[in-house]
Amino acid sequence: MKPALLRRPRRRQVLPGFGLTMGYTVLWLSLIVIIPLSAAFLSAAHLPLSRWLQILMTPRVLASFRLSLSASLIAAGINAVFGLLIAWVLTRYEFPGRKLLDALVDLPFALPTAVAGIALATLYAPGGWLGRLLAPLGVQVAFTPLGITAALAFVGLPFVVRTLQPVLGDLDRDLERAAETLGARPSVVFRRVILPALLPALITGCALAFSRALGEYGSVIFIAGNIPLVSEIVPLVIMTKLEQFQYAEATVVAVAMLLLSFAMMFAVNGAQLALQRRYQSRR
Amino acid sequence: MSRREQSPGSDTLGRALSRNLLIGIALCYLVLFLVLPLLAVFTQALAKGLVAFSTALRDVDALAAMRMTLTVAAISVPLNTLFGTAAAWLVAKYEFRGKGFLLTLIDLPFAVSPVISGLIFVLVFGARGWLGPWLGEHGYKVIFALPGMVLATTFITFPFIARELIPLMQAQGRDDEEAALSLGASGWRTFWMVTLPNVRWGMLYGILLCNARAMGEFGAVSVVSGHIRGETNTLPLHVEILYNEYNFVGAFATASLLALLALLTLGLKSLLERRHPELRGARAEPGKARLAH
Amino acid sequence: MSIRIEQVSKLYQGVPVVNDVTIEIQTGEFFVLLGPSGSGKSTLLRSLAGLTNIDHGRISLHGRDVTELPARRRGVGMVFQHYALFRHMTVAQNIEFALRIRRVGAAQRRRRRVELLQLVALEGYDERYPSQLSGGQQQRVAVARALAHEPAVLLLDEPFGALDAKIRVELRETVRAVQRRIGMTTILVTHDQEEAFALADRLGVMQMGRLLETGTPEQLYRYPATRFVARFLGAANLFLGEVSRQGLHLGAATLAPERAAGVTPAGSEAVLVVRPEDIEVAADATELGAHNFASGTVEALTFAGHQQHVSVRLDELSRIEPATANAASAQRVTVDALRSAAEQMAVPLQPGARVTLGVRRVHALPTPISSFNLMTCSDNEAAQLERSPLLAQLVSSMQARVIRRGEQLEAGICVLPLDELAPTAIAAAVEHGARRVLCIPAGAGVPQRMLVHAGEAVRRADLLALVSSVMRHLPIEATAVTLQHPQASRSEVVETQRTLLDTRAELRGSHGLDLRSDRFLGDLPAWLGSVVAQPETALLVLGMNPTRDLAARLNSEMPMLFRSGGHVDLLLAFGRAA
Repeated sequence: MKPALLRRPRRRQVLPGFGLTMGYTVLWLSLIVIIPLSAAFLSAAHLPLSRWLQILMTPRVLASFRLSLSASLIAAGINAVFGLLIAWVLTRYEFPGRKLLDALVDLPFALPTAVAGIALATLYAPGGWLGRLLAPLGVQVAFTPLGITAALAFVGLPFVVRTLQPVLGDLDRDLERAAETLGARPSVVFRRVILPALLPALITGCALAFSRALGEYGSVIFIAGNIPLVSEIVPLVIMTKLEQFQYAEATVVAVAMLLLSFAMMFAVNGAQLALQRRYQSRR
Repeated sequence: MSRREQSPGSDTLGRALSRNLLIGIALCYLVLFLVLPLLAVFTQALAKGLVAFSTALRDVDALAAMRMTLTVAAISVPLNTLFGTAAAWLVAKYEFRGKGFLLTLIDLPFAVSPVISGLIFVLVFGARGWLGPWLGEHGYKVIFALPGMVLATTFITFPFIARELIPLMQAQGRDDEEAALSLGASGWRTFWMVTLPNVRWGMLYGILLCNARAMGEFGAVSVVSGHIRGETNTLPLHVEILYNEYNFVGAFATASLLALLALLTLGLKSLLERRHPELRGARAEPGKARLAH
Repeated sequence: MSIRIEQVSKLYQGVPVVNDVTIEIQTGEFFVLLGPSGSGKSTLLRSLAGLTNIDHGRISLHGRDVTELPARRRGVGMVFQHYALFRHMTVAQNIEFALRIRRVGAAQRRRRRVELLQLVALEGYDERYPSQLSGGQQQRVAVARALAHEPAVLLLDEPFGALDAKIRVELRETVRAVQRRIGMTTILVTHDQEEAFALADRLGVMQMGRLLETGTPEQLYRYPATRFVARFLGAANLFLGEVSRQGLHLGAATLAPERAAGVTPAGSEAVLVVRPEDIEVAADATELGAHNFASGTVEALTFAGHQQHVSVRLDELSRIEPATANAASAQRVTVDALRSAAEQMAVPLQPGARVTLGVRRVHALPTPISSFNLMTCSDNEAAQLERSPLLAQLVSSMQARVIRRGEQLEAGICVLPLDELAPTAIAAAVEHGARRVLCIPAGAGVPQRMLVHAGEAVRRADLLALVSSVMRHLPIEATAVTLQHPQASRSEVVETQRTLLDTRAELRGSHGLDLRSDRFLGDLPAWLGSVVAQPETALLVLGMNPTRDLAARLNSEMPMLFRSGGHVDLLLAFGRAA
């Protein structure tokens, strides 16, 4: 019914370069990311389920997963508290040296993990600057799960602070003042006004810190001691299996971990979207 | 905080107290966790004096590791710059289906452990991998050689520049490009004369971060390098070897070099942020680019 | 002819955001596209510049067809709302950009730049960066930049939207002066009525992708064709009045129409537009200079500097009916008047005062759709009709009144449910004087297209008045269909073709609208059958003769429509009863 007189196929985009950039992006993405990643999944998919269970259900692998998860979770918790505090201090207060500290927060991003690893190991070793102070208290950090947690807290800090800072900066301070004029005590203002607004960013930041901690290798291995069943994290298990040329086993553990990370990523995105929607619709 | 904003009476005192307390805690935490490790690196490096320090750095293997680190970064950073620019142009300038999915894929390497990043390349190019036997027959060496290290580093630093440029280009919209087109400029000229100058600082910022990570990457490179001294060792790997041999001065001397690089990166980064505040928000929130839609 | 836009359509997700727009703009003309946000005016402008692809139609600039040309080859000058100046370039570099692209020598570039900066009164700003300029100055640079390559036409997309009120007026004058001096054909897009009046030689009002009306500002203000334009270009009181051979009747007053009513035939209802400044307020009828039409009570007075807004509640006895849907509570009809300082001095008013109202000027809208008359047996059925997407859309975009079971069937449009009983109901309505009948099936969706078939000997002007009224208020494609016998002789084919072209020409001439045309090989039942067979909802507009055996004819000639399963809306236009 539609007259064909003036109809014609159209260029899809007005701005040139769509085909070129799309082609290049997809090609490069496939070569560097998708094909190698699917290699891991395909290699692991070859193996029967029984073999999977056999590899994953060994006490050593299970212990490493337990350790990685719990240490990362605790580290993320520490970062939630101190990250929030540092972000607050850096955005809300003006004091000498603030800019320097602000720049320093990114140190864990910029410092190579191996360097951080040996530095932390040296600090917390029984004879180190901090280890020496802690030893009389009966606390041993190096070569224990505690050391792993400390290293993971180190690498995760900037994620929380940098996620919170822009949100804190944008937070309308009239909200707090309004709450105060309505008679709310500072603790109430924080709990009922500030925290809900920060929650999406806080969750994102913690999740990023957690996910980074889960896969962290360089800064942990020096301080961990790497004792099987006690202080061996998942990436190290993969590394060890690789060095022993147990490729199939390494791949299975790696894929299990990848699945965990991806599930985390999607859950966080979902939670963040939901929270944001709720927060925005409330306004 | 200005005086005007403080409320009168005892409240002022309480506020000042809590303010100082909070600053104190934050300061302690940062010093303990960030400054102290940094100090430790330099003190340990200089523990046996300047001579030992400079000797360690002039070691043949250390020099080879430096060369290797620079080579890897010199290849993978430009590759990712090119990719990041193309991807950012694509995502920021066009509407198409599956954009969110594409962004997720670009972000994927962030969710992958460095060790696994190395492993996947071993699985493809290793002696027992998909392409390994074929490559072996034809005399190509990827794993335990430069190509493998470049690949692993490129994978690890893959999202850095794209992540920096995408929000920046999105914020700038298409107005400038459309104006250039309507004035008669071709696509390439529009890109070189208008788009690129608009994002040059963002690109520099991304390159800075990408480079820091590329030079400092440890886990992934560790898997694919094979730790061949003088050949496939990068600086971070060299640090590990020396440390495990209890050559602490050597390890920390090398580490101090990397720490200086990190400090230099941080310095340049804050300088850029101060001059171009719009760069700051762009990176901080990795979910941002995706949620902006 | 400088710019020729022919049947340009742009679809966004299947919905036309620009719908069959046809405009011709003369060389040197300053044309303003005016419309609310989302009316498609910016999209149309961007499609001229080649920054948006169109789905249908042709665009030519100075006789050169540029439809297929990419933006950079069109040679237009474009000014954007947010300036879009290149931030890393100086003013000089910005202005010279187009010349550099064209490899013009440095000396010549410089000469041109100096000339342009002088034109926009920014001499000496060459080496500044955009960030060092105010918004108004930036936009001046943008204008200069757009003119550098001596474009065929200058396009301005809401150029003053981001500026303060005062600078806006100042810059407006600059742009007008520059345009006059160089005689550049210019199109400006705005949503600001005042701006449009101040700048336009001619203006076009857009709504829902349609170009509703075009004309000089004065023409459109004084003689609007639609309720939308009447109200978008300044305040307007809209009443239902009557047209007779004596003139226009509004309450007690009878006024001679300033323009031959043309498409509004005598003896029928019409929508009357009365501008607030055309209403005179007096204490009693003897003091009125104008035609007395009603009396009422002053409800509110609002001070507006040199003028005064007066809101008067009319007495019920005045028998004035509003023509708009939202003022449907007939008990409380209010009239807005605007009084000059002199009038305020002559007749001081207080809220609550009794006043008599006179009217100096009345304009009758040429639309045959003055109101919708729901001809249903029950309120339930009426409510169902009102909820149908088609009627809801028409009522809301027309702001027309909906009456239930009104007595006067010849006025406005009669609305009926479309079912198997419809032929009888239509015949009965026509018997009682109905001239336009809209039948909506239960559960019909929003129509996706509109098909017009002139059919029998209905006066084309009447049919087109109806069609244009509907077209203006529905964002769908409209097509005029002619039927041709498969074995038609050559002369018959030519005749059919000519009828179609005439129809389009007349629609454009008298209503400024354009529609698609299509030919169907076969007779009426075959065509209707093919329409019913399509899955998408269609609005079918048919012209018919009101013969005595109407019900039987409807049943025999188009039975498929009344059993269509709910995806054909039917609008019938009947010729005048003999």
